[in-house]
Amino acid sequence: MPFALPGLRWSLAATLLMAIGLGGCATPPDPSDPDAVAEFRQNNDPIEPTNRVFFAINNGLDTVLLAPVARGYRTIVPQPIRNGIHNVLANLSSPVLFIDDVLQTKPRRAGDTLARFVINSTLGLGGIFDLADKWGWHAHDSDAGITLALWGVPDGPFLFLPVLGPSNPRDAAGFGADIALDPFTYTSGGAWQIFGWTRYGVSAVDARERHLDDIAQIKRSALDPYATFRSLFQQHRAQVIDSVRDDNRATIPAWFTPPGTDQDSK
Amino acid sequence: MSRADMSSQPILMPTRRRFICLSMALAATLALPGRAALAQGTVVDTATQFVKQTGVDLLGIVNGPAPLADKQKQLTPIINQAVDVDAIARFCLGRYWRTASPEQQKSYLGLFHAVLVNSITGKLGDYTGVTFTVGRARASDEGVIVSTTITRPNNPPTAVDWLISTETGSPKIADMIAEGTSLRLTQRSDYASYLSHNNNDVQALIDAMRRQLAG
Repeated sequence: MPFALPGLRWSLAATLLMAIGLGGCATPPDPSDPDAVAEFRQNNDPIEPTNRVFFAINNGLDTVLLAPVARGYRTIVPQPIRNGIHNVLANLSSPVLFIDDVLQTKPRRAGDTLARFVINSTLGLGGIFDLADKWGWHAHDSDAGITLALWGVPDGPFLFLPVLGPSNPRDAAGFGADIALDPFTYTSGGAWQIFGWTRYGVSAVDARERHLDDIAQIKRSALDPYATFRSLFQQHRAQVIDSVRDDNRATIPAWFTPPGTDQDSK
Repeated sequence: MSRADMSSQPILMPTRRRFICLSMALAATLALPGRAALAQGTVVDTATQFVKQTGVDLLGIVNGPAPLADKQKQLTPIINQAVDVDAIARFCLGRYWRTASPEQQKSYLGLFHAVLVNSITGKLGDYTGVTFTVGRARASDEGVIVSTTITRPNNPPTAVDWLISTETGSPKIADMIAEGTSLRLTQRSDYASYLSHNNNDVQALIDAMRRQLAG
């Protein structure tokens, strides 16, 4: 078991309490300035000073630890092997992804995930080769934060969490839910424990390597990187949720006419 | 002309005029939906064609064999021609545009131009083997949004929407929305946050942009 779940919950709760306890709250703007008020609302960041503290800590950790490791990984490990590693990691998250697809009532996406898991786990040799993609079952991403959004749960204020980065209460809850939904969370024994931690570690390095250039570019061009990352996160999240919501592809093949429908209607 | 004629004239004229006006208005109302739809169709087509052509022009250089510095030099005129930089610049400064002095506005526009061109050429310059496909296009309040998918080797395809505005008379890029993140919205929130942490002083922003370009 990679994470003791209650322990993780505790640390999340403690973090949130600490964030509130440290008590840095953003100063609301002058109510007579409608533009400033609109901007404040759009930022949706009432505990900005606290968030900035965690951003600075994460940014420091990233600069001295994660980014150099990711650069080393890029230098040492050739692209095809990195792709294979990424594919294996994606395949390992398929069970959680499948549950999320189902909870989002998106049968076509759930079908894609299932087909991908079966094909890639077997013919793709444990997920190393993404054969399913070549055969038309393309990868998609999802998480319980999106599930909660589709269920109508509001996002809440912006949060910058230690280690995890930009988030909000809904996505933080989703993060916990995905760990709880992951079958690998409930495996135990020494070997599984090593497997679990290795998986988290490699996932972090893999994700960081894939974003080395984007993040460097943002840090170079932003005058206020915190505000830029916040805006990018909020916009991107909204778009991902919309794209899942709008994915209403039919689950029946084009050639099949459901009983009771007019043959000529299509 | 008799008095009777003169008195009848003012009555007759308005009626005739009114009739003509009415029929013209009627004709306009009847014709309007059709004409508007037609105009919108051509606007959407023009925007799509513009995105296709600009994409072909840019990628011709990006995927070409020239060294990085030459590529960036060749990209700059295309970007200057295809992007409505001034409109994006004003959007990014938002409410602070009004509080800036004319000289500040002028130096801001100049700096923004350089920053944007640098950032685009810096981003595009490193790429090779880029392909793109143009998808759906739809009219919006601010212009036509043309969807494209950009593919780079070893990267998942990226969905990029282009906001094409015809405010200057010819189609120009007014925003680029990559995976749901709008370039001008992100830039505006960067500037707004910088300004709010620097006493809302536009001069501080201008100085920061100058330092950024120098560094």
